[in-house]
Amino acid sequence: MTLREWQRKQRVMQLGDRFLSYVDEGGGRPIVLVHGMPTWGFVWEPLVSRLARDHRVLVPDLLGFGCSDRGEGFDRSIVRQAEALDAWLDGLAVDRAVVVGHEIGGGVALHLAAHFRRRVGRLVLLDSVGYDSWPSEPLRQLGHPRAWRRPSPRTVCALLRQLLRRGFARAPSRELLDGLLAPYATDVGMRSLARDAAALDPNLTLELSPLLPHLLVPSLVLWGADDPFQPLRIGERFAWDLPLAKLVVVPGARHFAMIERPDAVERALREFLAEEEARPPSEARATTH
Amino acid sequence: MLGFGRRRPVSERRASGETERIFHEIEQTFRVTGINLEFRTLAGFDKLFPVLWEEAFLNVETLAFEEGADHLRAEAVQVARALGRPGALEAVDLGESERFRLRALLALYHYVNPKLLLFTSALSLALRGVGLGAGVDERATEESLVRGVPPAMHPMEMVDEEPDDPRLRAIFDDIRRTLDLPSVNSDYRSLALFPDYLAEAWPRLKSLVGSARYQQGAAELRATARTLAKRLPYPIALSRARIERLGEDPDALARALDEFERILPALIVNVARLALDFEPPERLERSPFPAATRPAVHFTEETAE
Repeated sequence: MTLREWQRKQRVMQLGDRFLSYVDEGGGRPIVLVHGMPTWGFVWEPLVSRLARDHRVLVPDLLGFGCSDRGEGFDRSIVRQAEALDAWLDGLAVDRAVVVGHEIGGGVALHLAAHFRRRVGRLVLLDSVGYDSWPSEPLRQLGHPRAWRRPSPRTVCALLRQLLRRGFARAPSRELLDGLLAPYATDVGMRSLARDAAALDPNLTLELSPLLPHLLVPSLVLWGADDPFQPLRIGERFAWDLPLAKLVVVPGARHFAMIERPDAVERALREFLAEEEARPPSEARATTH
Repeated sequence: MLGFGRRRPVSERRASGETERIFHEIEQTFRVTGINLEFRTLAGFDKLFPVLWEEAFLNVETLAFEEGADHLRAEAVQVARALGRPGALEAVDLGESERFRLRALLALYHYVNPKLLLFTSALSLALRGVGLGAGVDERATEESLVRGVPPAMHPMEMVDEEPDDPRLRAIFDDIRRTLDLPSVNSDYRSLALFPDYLAEAWPRLKSLVGSARYQQGAAELRATARTLAKRLPYPIALSRARIERLGEDPDALARALDEFERILPALIVNVARLALDFEPPERLERSPFPAATRPAVHFTEETAE
């Protein structure tokens, strides 16, 4: 699916004064794919058609990201994002879903699982932020209130392309990187991304740490073997702390396993979804796909 | 690139110091999420800009100003209605989210452009020595608008004036050439976020730009704006001598204001026409972002004490 086709597929829902854009593909058991930063829902494109064959795949752009509301004066924290997703799922009449979170989307998914427990039937953390593993220094710098004013959006996008490249084991195409950054290539887009970056707060995942051992939701911790941004040890720690979790490592992948190894990610997801019952905590272990 | 009045517009991103403060004030009092080309251009008169804003902002905060802009908007919708719906929306395959955002952008410009025209007319009149604020009922100043950007108003997002996309570059060139503009207005740059749409919309607008009906409608709107500007409650002290004392060129300012007074009525009609693809005219005649009012605070020597 090209960037243009993806944009055409995006629907919209008003949430109070804010609005959220999303893709809603396929039918069946709902799977919600939550993107990270500095990307948007388009990052899931390689996986959507695969999963939509037999699932209802829902891909939101978080508030302040992608084609969702990028105005001023609202909370963009992962806690607020979880609240927004809860309201959005209400609007879609989806009571319960498999929630897959990548990077900060993992933080959002964790908050959704912790505070809106009924929503999350199964939880998947893909190269997720956690504990105090984030934000990375470049994103922290981007969050400076004046950062968006200094260089032009073109320059910032060029820097972000460099940053994103590090998240791929093999050099991604320029077209792909442009697509991942497309909503941020204007002054407004860049300002919004700076606001998003300013809202990155590791306290919001640290506060979840004591809750993780009590989070009785079947969980898959899926990790790129060579992720330079969220190292594998974070995934191992999640797999240890979450009582119903198993860890699957994706070899040959860095931070963007859903793009680099969509086949392996799909296989791991399908195996996880096929499980009738979650494994007991003692059986949490690493496997390789 | 030099713009209107041969001044280089100051972008929001580049604004600093006093200009940055005034841009913020403009957003709060105009109740708008971004800074249009006109203010970016006026900010290019860097010595004059703070004085100009200090002189003009009192009127902008009045109910008379908001109602004047509402009147202009409703009149523009009548002109647009007579010219006909362009049908650009049906001609392009946009997704639900794209249509939603496009409609929101049109609502933003449908709201702010009449305010800009009224503001421009008031400055033009003041520069020509026409007194404003004379013989106005005192009630006109008893209420002020509640400051602040309407929460549901979308950001004034726009593509670069020199976009990478060759198709957009060609459209922008055509807009500049057809409308005799040194810079592309914010409106078209915002619509360029949806290139397929702009590619459909612009030729449909362009085909009527030279027509007598269109020109007459725009001229009437311009005249109405001048009439309404004369009724604004507060005087604006903007003499040529004062501008020269500030080290600025009054002729350059007059040229820039004339240009904006020339193009804004046409732009208002164009936006109203495009909005007709989304909304019935009766709805477009009403303000998309009605303003709340509060009792005005008048600073006098007594209140200062």
